[in-house]
Amino acid sequence: MLANTYERLKTQIGRRSFMKMAAVATAAGATNAFANDGVTRAATQEEVKNPFPGSTSVKTICTACSVGCGIIAEVQNGVWVRQEVAQDHPISLGGHCCKGADMIDMVRSEVRLKHPMVKEAGKWKRLSWDDALDRIATKLKASHETAGPDSAMFLGSAKMSTEQAYYFRKFAAMYGTNNIDHQARI
Amino acid sequence: MANTWGYGAMTNSLGDIQNAKAIIIFGANPAVNHPVGFQHFLKAKERNNAKIIVIDPVFTKTAAKADHYCQVRPGTDIPFMYGMLHLIFKNGWHDEKFISDRVYGMEDVMEEAKKWNPKKVEDVTGVPADQLIQVTTLYARSTPGTLIWAMGLTQHSNGSSNTRLAPILQLALGNMGVEGGGTNILRGHDNVQGATDMACLSDTLPGYYGLSDGAWQYFASSWGVDYEWLSGRFKSKEWMGKKGFTLARWWAGVLDGKDGNDQIHNAGTNLKNLFVMGNGITSIAQQAKVKEGLDNLDMIVLCDPFVNEAAILTDKQDDVFILPAATQFETSGSVTATNRSVQWRNKVVEPMYESKTDHDIMFELAKRLGFYDEYTAGMKIKENKQDYTWPEDATDEIARIIKTIGLTGWTAKRIKSHNENWHMFDQISGRGYGKMKGEYYGLPWPAWTETHGGSPLLYNINRSVAEGGMGFRNRFGLEHDGQDLLAGAGSAPKGSVQKDGYPEITAVNIEEVLGIKLTADEKKRIGKNWKVDTSNIIAEKCMEQGIAPYGNAKARAKVWTFPDQIPMHREPLHSPRSDLAKEYPSFDDKENHFRVDTKYISKQTEQDWSKDFPINLVTGRLVNMNGAGMENRASKYLAALTPEMFCSINPDLAGKYGIRDGSMMWIHSPEGTKIKVKAKYSHSVPEDRIFMPFHFAGHFQGEDLSHKYPKGTKPYAIGESANTVTNYGYDIVTQIPETKGGLCRIEFA
Amino acid sequence: MSDIGNARLKFYCDEHRCISCDGCSVACAEAHELPANINRRKVVTMNEGIFGLEYSLSIACMHCTDAPCEQVCPTDCFYIREDGIVLHDKDKCIGCAYCLYACPFGAPQFPQDGAFSIKGVMDKCTMCAGGPEETNSDKERELYGQNRIAEGKVPVCAAMCSTKALLVGDSAEISDIYRERVLSIGHGAKTQPYGWSTAYGSKI
Repeated sequence: MLANTYERLKTQIGRRSFMKMAAVATAAGATNAFANDGVTRAATQEEVKNPFPGSTSVKTICTACSVGCGIIAEVQNGVWVRQEVAQDHPISLGGHCCKGADMIDMVRSEVRLKHPMVKEAGKWKRLSWDDALDRIATKLKASHETAGPDSAMFLGSAKMSTEQAYYFRKFAAMYGTNNIDHQARI
Repeated sequence: MANTWGYGAMTNSLGDIQNAKAIIIFGANPAVNHPVGFQHFLKAKERNNAKIIVIDPVFTKTAAKADHYCQVRPGTDIPFMYGMLHLIFKNGWHDEKFISDRVYGMEDVMEEAKKWNPKKVEDVTGVPADQLIQVTTLYARSTPGTLIWAMGLTQHSNGSSNTRLAPILQLALGNMGVEGGGTNILRGHDNVQGATDMACLSDTLPGYYGLSDGAWQYFASSWGVDYEWLSGRFKSKEWMGKKGFTLARWWAGVLDGKDGNDQIHNAGTNLKNLFVMGNGITSIAQQAKVKEGLDNLDMIVLCDPFVNEAAILTDKQDDVFILPAATQFETSGSVTATNRSVQWRNKVVEPMYESKTDHDIMFELAKRLGFYDEYTAGMKIKENKQDYTWPEDATDEIARIIKTIGLTGWTAKRIKSHNENWHMFDQISGRGYGKMKGEYYGLPWPAWTETHGGSPLLYNINRSVAEGGMGFRNRFGLEHDGQDLLAGAGSAPKGSVQKDGYPEITAVNIEEVLGIKLTADEKKRIGKNWKVDTSNIIAEKCMEQGIAPYGNAKARAKVWTFPDQIPMHREPLHSPRSDLAKEYPSFDDKENHFRVDTKYISKQTEQDWSKDFPINLVTGRLVNMNGAGMENRASKYLAALTPEMFCSINPDLAGKYGIRDGSMMWIHSPEGTKIKVKAKYSHSVPEDRIFMPFHFAGHFQGEDLSHKYPKGTKPYAIGESANTVTNYGYDIVTQIPETKGGLCRIEFA
Repeated sequence: MSDIGNARLKFYCDEHRCISCDGCSVACAEAHELPANINRRKVVTMNEGIFGLEYSLSIACMHCTDAPCEQVCPTDCFYIREDGIVLHDKDKCIGCAYCLYACPFGAPQFPQDGAFSIKGVMDKCTMCAGGPEETNSDKERELYGQNRIAEGKVPVCAAMCSTKALLVGDSAEISDIYRERVLSIGHGAKTQPYGWSTAYGSKI
């Protein structure tokens, strides 16, 4: 059904609309002929198909909920430039709710964290990864020795990949505690 | 649920809901929480004339599409379901053969159901008797019917009873193991199923192996580490076998029983360090306690792509680390959808700014803590590698080890081929076409062997095991109280050499049950039982003989290890009906419940809560957000849809307190906490309850915490967390907080 | 199938399916990088919270055949494409909002930023067909957003609709889809043609 529309749009409107420069004013009451004629350069095939030349499409999965909708991400020069429609995905059939439709902003949101930070004397300070990890590990190690491994609590996430979740569990086990949990318990 | 028939997971799939003739939804709002999944509900309604019945304290977007809507009082799902069972048994609508062949302990349920006549159910739940009769008649007579639930059933002090009675209702009607039937729990976050399977949990190892000594030994050897070394990492072997703190109550572990807080049992120490990775802890119950817990820690580490608002909530001045974690689009890996099917998530771009992937952060810490080699050894075992490739070798490590839920078939190569060929699968059945023929989309577990196509429909005996068929799992022994726990005659999956019930397969019974002879070599390589058989000989042989490795047993309506052997109604700890709280009191207080003493009856009877706190408080989700909402509020388009925290309130209730539409109001909880939110007039809630979304943070008890965000990280929308006023109360088995049935008091602000 | 020249491109929103998830409106805003609170598309819910009466619809520019906006515009900035899509020229528009008076659906939007900023003077749904600038040029994308029609792609709102409530395309095609939905009622969850089993039983 929609696939038919898609096919038709692709084969007919797609090509035709490229000639809209000459064909905008019709009998339907549009009195305003298109005025800007200086721009009728013939488009390259690449432009017709793809406004982001040289981009690639990556098939991936939405991170919002457990339905598991398909996402097609268009990537140009290492930048996610556009979220495309995964019309052929067997669960979502291209559909998204508002969260899924805006997955691209998970990556490019301006309020993302940009570097490690630590609060010292009530002030946020930037620090390097090495400094941060060294300091965290030193504290974890010290508590392991003095108070014992059960002085740590690990809260993992249903937002991780399965592999990461598995390694998170392993991390707690090798640190030496069963104080580990995630969002299934809410 | 796992305690009923073996696995705690959605039994069918979203597409399969299209096959249902009736859909009954308890405490779930798929139109808001799973909008794309809801298209399958709408198609069932459209093409199949399926009737949708919604049971919910709040009129939801799902209810707007329903044929029948029953507005129950929060925390009374058990009486409602018993009311249905009462009518089903009374009218003989139950499936007798199914029950006698495949269910244990239904008689006790029948006895209890007798007590719940429609009049009584009306008194307790608030649903008119006529309506109960109407929807029960409709549901019982429209088979197959599918039963849907989500957090509305689990987030109660007796949530684990709710989630047992719902399956019992389906068992009584014979709606299990059939297309269009099943119990379909809708999971929240994208990988709740995967992360649960992998046991980011305090009470088990990955694959639900538990914490027994045998389980630890199996994992030590599978991880390629010395068991003695591993146990040496713990305080002692004893503590290795004990459940840890949970997400719901870790803060009690910090507070250490001081100042009247609940006592803890944690290897002689309180919690000092908190390490959080991708977890919005501002959406867990009792935020004031969470804050107190955070304030008293030695160190807090928060790894997230966006600022974790725990960092904003706390007044702790030092050693709060915020590490920028990469999003899941900046790494690859597998993710398990609600229906147990796996999908490969390809990396879209490299991690932005200075962010690092979650696993890199863990690897770097493991190096510094001195166990990196042991940590990564498991990835090199399969092909005896020098080094590993992330994530493929981790995927294959999981497939090699986790037999209990049949992940053997989930090799990285196969999962990726499903991603590449996702257009080759049917949307309803999930069956593959062309070169994907013989496989179901996402290889829903159990996928017993490396060629098994997955099991889209659990407990279906009309298919062979190789094609995804199976009976119920033999998990609870062979008999109890003299009654046989194995399935009855003729109820084995299609094409099985055994026609009746049979036990789970072990090295000892394999020859007898399967009717085969093992070679000497096979005998040498075979593991002790199907759960630890890394040679996979048991599974391979089982497929040939049509046998499910986990056995073929009866589901049990009665769980003899639980406080309530069959589900019983118990009023919420904070009930608006003090008369009923006396009639249906809560559990006895429970000592050392996930390392912390937990109050039940003493809390319930501390005072007549309904006097000072007359209004029911229900929390839930909005379509534009999930969880603590930090990633959604960081999107300007999503934030713009609901820029402010609000409370839905019936105009008649609001009028009594002089609260106008759009004015501010205070909500006070029995714990002495309060929040200030905007009132939004709505007819979706009746006069005795209010509804709030739980996605906001950044305000606390009336105070705007904007100044505490690091520069440039404040999301586009902030507000009070509804969980600041959710009440004390935790499930008796799982410790899930009782956020769907508390009380509050309101006033004009 | 009719020739594209004979039928106009239209939107249709099936109120039995719309669950007001706002997938369409956010997909639109995100795809065209609209300023926040410019709603080319908006989901409206009526009778919220009342059983049997609540319904939702997604509304945008309806691309009228005899478009009132086009009739009243003092600078004649509107033009209607051969396929029925109503577009306008932001270089001519003066932002007077007369079109808003004329529009029966509240479609025209006016960005706060002013005439020379991100989305220009008046902004509305383009059915993902861009504007009069060179197709897929930076200027077109800046002023009007993506031109998916030129790429042969379905407008993003309908393509991403979670329940396929929102349909877009040749109006003949849309009525075919809706007709099929109506006729399929009660025939079960099959992907086969409807009616055959009724007519011929299980013989085929």
